[in-house]
Amino acid sequence: MLNTNYVVEMKDIKKSFGSVHAVKNGQFTLRKGEVHSLIGENGAGKSTMMKLLYGMYPFDAGEVTINGKKYEHINPKAAIEAGVGMVHQEFMLVNELTVLENIILGFEPKKGLTIDFAAARAMAQKYIDQYNMDVQLDKKISQISVGEAQRVEIIKILARGAEIIILDEPTAVLTPQETRRLFEILNNLREDGKSIVFISHKLNEVMEISDRISCMRQGQYTGTVNKAETSPIELTKMMVGREVVLNIEKKTAHQGGVVLDVKDIWTSGEKEISKIRGISFDVKAGEIVGIAGIDGNGQSELIEAIAGLRQVEKGTVTLDGVDITNKTVKQIRDAGLTHIPEDRNTRGLNRAFTIGENLVEVELDQAPVKKGFVINKAAITQRAKDMIEKFDIRPADGSLPTSSLSGGNAQKVVVAREVNLGGKLLIASQPTRGVDIGAIESIRTILQDVKEKGLGVLLVSAELEEIMSLSDRIIVMHEGKITGRLAAEEADEEEIGMLMMGGYAHDKKGE
Amino acid sequence: MELGTIFNASLIFSAFRSATPIIYAALCAAITQQADILNIGTEGIMLMGAFMAVAVSYLTGSWILGVAVAMISGLVVATIMAIGNIKFKADICAIGMGINMFALAITKFLLNAWLGKSGSFTDPKIQPIPKVHFAFLEDVPVLGELFNDWCITEWFVIVLIVILWFVFYKTVWGLRLRAVGRMPMAAQTAGINVDAMKYQAIAISGLIGGLAGAHLSLGYSTMFVENMTSSRGFMGVASMYFGGAHPVFTSLGCLIFGFTNSIGTRLQAYGFPNQFMLLMPYVVTIAVLAISMATKKSAEKKRKSSLVTQ
Amino acid sequence: MKKKFDVKSVLNVLLPLVLALAVGAIIILFIGENPIEAYAALIEGAFKGKLRLGTTLAGFTPLLLTSLAFIVAAKAGAFNVGVEGEVLLGGIVAAYIGINWTFLPAPLLIIACFLGAMIVAALWAFIPAALKAYYDVSEVCVTILMNSVALYITNYLVSGPMSAGTTIAESKPVAVTLPKLMMPSALNAGIFIAIVVTIVMIFILQKTSLGTKIRLVGTNPANAEYAGINPKHTFIKAMMISGALGGIAGTIEVLGVHGAFLNNFASGLGNNGMLAALIAKCNVFTAPIISFFIAMLNSGAMRMQQATNVPKSLIDTITAVFIIFACMELIGNLKKRAAKKAEEKK
Repeated sequence: MLNTNYVVEMKDIKKSFGSVHAVKNGQFTLRKGEVHSLIGENGAGKSTMMKLLYGMYPFDAGEVTINGKKYEHINPKAAIEAGVGMVHQEFMLVNELTVLENIILGFEPKKGLTIDFAAARAMAQKYIDQYNMDVQLDKKISQISVGEAQRVEIIKILARGAEIIILDEPTAVLTPQETRRLFEILNNLREDGKSIVFISHKLNEVMEISDRISCMRQGQYTGTVNKAETSPIELTKMMVGREVVLNIEKKTAHQGGVVLDVKDIWTSGEKEISKIRGISFDVKAGEIVGIAGIDGNGQSELIEAIAGLRQVEKGTVTLDGVDITNKTVKQIRDAGLTHIPEDRNTRGLNRAFTIGENLVEVELDQAPVKKGFVINKAAITQRAKDMIEKFDIRPADGSLPTSSLSGGNAQKVVVAREVNLGGKLLIASQPTRGVDIGAIESIRTILQDVKEKGLGVLLVSAELEEIMSLSDRIIVMHEGKITGRLAAEEADEEEIGMLMMGGYAHDKKGE
Repeated sequence: MELGTIFNASLIFSAFRSATPIIYAALCAAITQQADILNIGTEGIMLMGAFMAVAVSYLTGSWILGVAVAMISGLVVATIMAIGNIKFKADICAIGMGINMFALAITKFLLNAWLGKSGSFTDPKIQPIPKVHFAFLEDVPVLGELFNDWCITEWFVIVLIVILWFVFYKTVWGLRLRAVGRMPMAAQTAGINVDAMKYQAIAISGLIGGLAGAHLSLGYSTMFVENMTSSRGFMGVASMYFGGAHPVFTSLGCLIFGFTNSIGTRLQAYGFPNQFMLLMPYVVTIAVLAISMATKKSAEKKRKSSLVTQ
Repeated sequence: MKKKFDVKSVLNVLLPLVLALAVGAIIILFIGENPIEAYAALIEGAFKGKLRLGTTLAGFTPLLLTSLAFIVAAKAGAFNVGVEGEVLLGGIVAAYIGINWTFLPAPLLIIACFLGAMIVAALWAFIPAALKAYYDVSEVCVTILMNSVALYITNYLVSGPMSAGTTIAESKPVAVTLPKLMMPSALNAGIFIAIVVTIVMIFILQKTSLGTKIRLVGTNPANAEYAGINPKHTFIKAMMISGALGGIAGTIEVLGVHGAFLNNFASGLGNNGMLAALIAKCNVFTAPIISFFIAMLNSGAMRMQQATNVPKSLIDTITAVFIIFACMELIGNLKKRAAKKAEEKK
């Protein structure tokens, strides 16, 4: 099936954003009719490489050849004409428009002055039938599920005549079952002679779907191997440069009384499936409770409701005996809640402010940060110095704005601020999302330490592996409800996957 | 006071008449809003158009040339705003206010330096936009009163509303424009040139804004007065918010203003202080804007509530 | 946040200034006058002699406060075009108290005028602030429309209930005035009040926890909310402070300059303050300099008109062009272009 005619060749690619060298030495080739995985850690430059191929940004240096034609500059329009299509990690769909309007956007069939919706519909239907991808053409994007939106994206690029299909971390938002479905579609596409680039950092998936695998590390190309001739261990080495065992040993701490008690709460949701409808659980001192689930099934809303950032419409939240239902954020924080939010750039940090100022922003009304009427600069400098040292934040200069930090270091600023506050309960929402492997290790260790100190920890993560390796108890959420409670030692991935899909709800001794 | 003399058939026409300049302004704002650009400069574009229309009509004796030059001047001013905002990353509110002040100052200056007047300018040589007279309606009781002697631009605004509705929701350009406004990244990845779409939207909005001004100074009145738009551009922007940038709903919002204005004028005859009549349209605009946004907000809250199932 | 007085921020103001003056010069040439003469007359008109310098400083006083008012709101993320209305309402309240509360001794009466004006102007600013904070109603639209409302309200009051009975619309004279300086110019002790208020406000914004909260909310409300700072309340507070500053400006104009409430006396005060703030990119340290510059242009304009036949309305055009250029990021773009050229040469 394979031949050596490359449909894509990228040679010696360089790209930097300001002072950040996203790609230092990028190499990539794609054969016709293969699935070629591009793997690497967060920030290794794999997404950037493919965005360069699709012309989202201009590349600084190097050569890009598509179907034998060399390109000096590429923009999305030229890439589309050359038969390149990309399914972005963040879907490029307009929520307010219908599925059909999204599919034809940019190459609309015309009839006189108007859009020929009949022709558009026929064209979309052809791909729906050919690859067995059920989508509802007349629904608005805001009304459909993530899996369906992804299929819309695939139809969109097929309809533009794409022969080269790039998928950027397509499985990050899918359940194991939906992933299997996606792989069926990808296999069909491969059989049809399409060439596919699969960007991922999940090695088991890469081993399942790929023909060849290329790897990047810190903007550098580290090699290409045939799937048949490699192993996950070798791939890990290529990705990280060393063998990493992320399985931090789980420690058991002395468990105390209940610190967080959530009783039958109902809250609003951004989507119908993320509305919280009647959730109850508790977190005890000295334990980590992990909430597993696919993104967008109400985890964010639940956390916001507990933290005072979203109104509780029904039910009660009690923190260490104090009723904190619908109290202000300040009152809830005063009651002992600390919170690592899921989105560090908009929630967790003020990127226009310095590391030091971000470290004290929740203590502006108390000594030593406030002295008389005035903000005590010396106290901020001292705090920054202490935290930078304790949490190994780099660069070690508290007067730098947080916008200049890498993902991992920015996250450490948030973690440092919240952990330093002490308190009774720490909520850690997607604490290691988008950070490098070194920071993942240290943040996970910190969470264990917090638990050992006797705080309750509520962990939310879309990474099942993270939930399983850290939690003492696991709660699974689906469409705003709890579908399962498991003790960590008896949990297995397959079962949690089923529960995440809304499978049978059952209680084991987790409660 | 007799309600009959305040509320009668001619009220509808007078409300529509006083709303028309604002409808033009609102459509000027709506088209850029579809591309997610808040057109604060509507007021300035309109004022520029109002001056140029009068000046050119006065100098050439042709209202058509007056309107044409007004539209071109609107286009020029809008283009300055577009380049500042898109190419030089100027904050849209800041550059929009800059444009408004520029229009206010330059029209004042040109009135002094070019036409040699200050304050206001009126002259029999100014050719107004002609009125349409239907002979067959003359003897029809209510309809004659209602529909006769509208000026051309008053009829045209209705056409323009329909055209914009068609363009926004039925054409390729409109689909692309809405995509650019709602999610520029999606539009860009679909191969659409986002900046080019924004330039086009602002340019067309400049033409409409210029026409709005021309209608104000050659249709609604036949004169130019310093700052004669007196916040009509902003009322247009407010109506645009009210109607969610949809041409039809936006225009309906302007009619609310028109009614307040006309009722106010009639109430004046009954001894209400002049100033209170003058401030009513502004208060009503603010109230309507607040109510429409509050309604939107509570609808959204309801939509998101867990206690409601969709 | 670090304040840097580097070359770039100086160029950011100077380049638009040069461009604006150049545009002005072209227009002057176009109407057949000599730009150098016109600008010389302008400078002379702003500074030469006690009267002219005093007039410039008197014009500078309210601009200092109105630009600051715009900046305080802007730091919280608001685009407050309503300063002009706040000045007017502050002025009318100061006039009312200054005329009617004569039972108070003079010093107390002055304080009462200022406090009354600040309270009413702050409440006036509360309306658009609350509408924005709770219903997301564009504060730009509301404040502009409210300026007209304020103008008509005060117009009604000074031509009706509070009228002096003269042909022009103005109130009766107030019972207390601020001490005059550099007679016969309009300069008065209000300039010291304005300077002290400015220093206090800079201190509040840069050094106190309230100021820090305002800046946190203005740059990232979601983060502020998460950190336990109520973004809505902070936004409203900043807008009300902004309104109070407008009220102070109005009081100084009424008690210091006119001695009564003149109809529409604030015309341009709010807008010019906003201009100064925008040109200074809301930097509290450069805004006073720009305010002074605009005051200079305005007071020199009359002399220019008399000496050279260039209408003084040209000055407004120049300031408008100044702001249009100033809000663009010209420097960044020029640098990029230079870098591109350098690369092409390679």
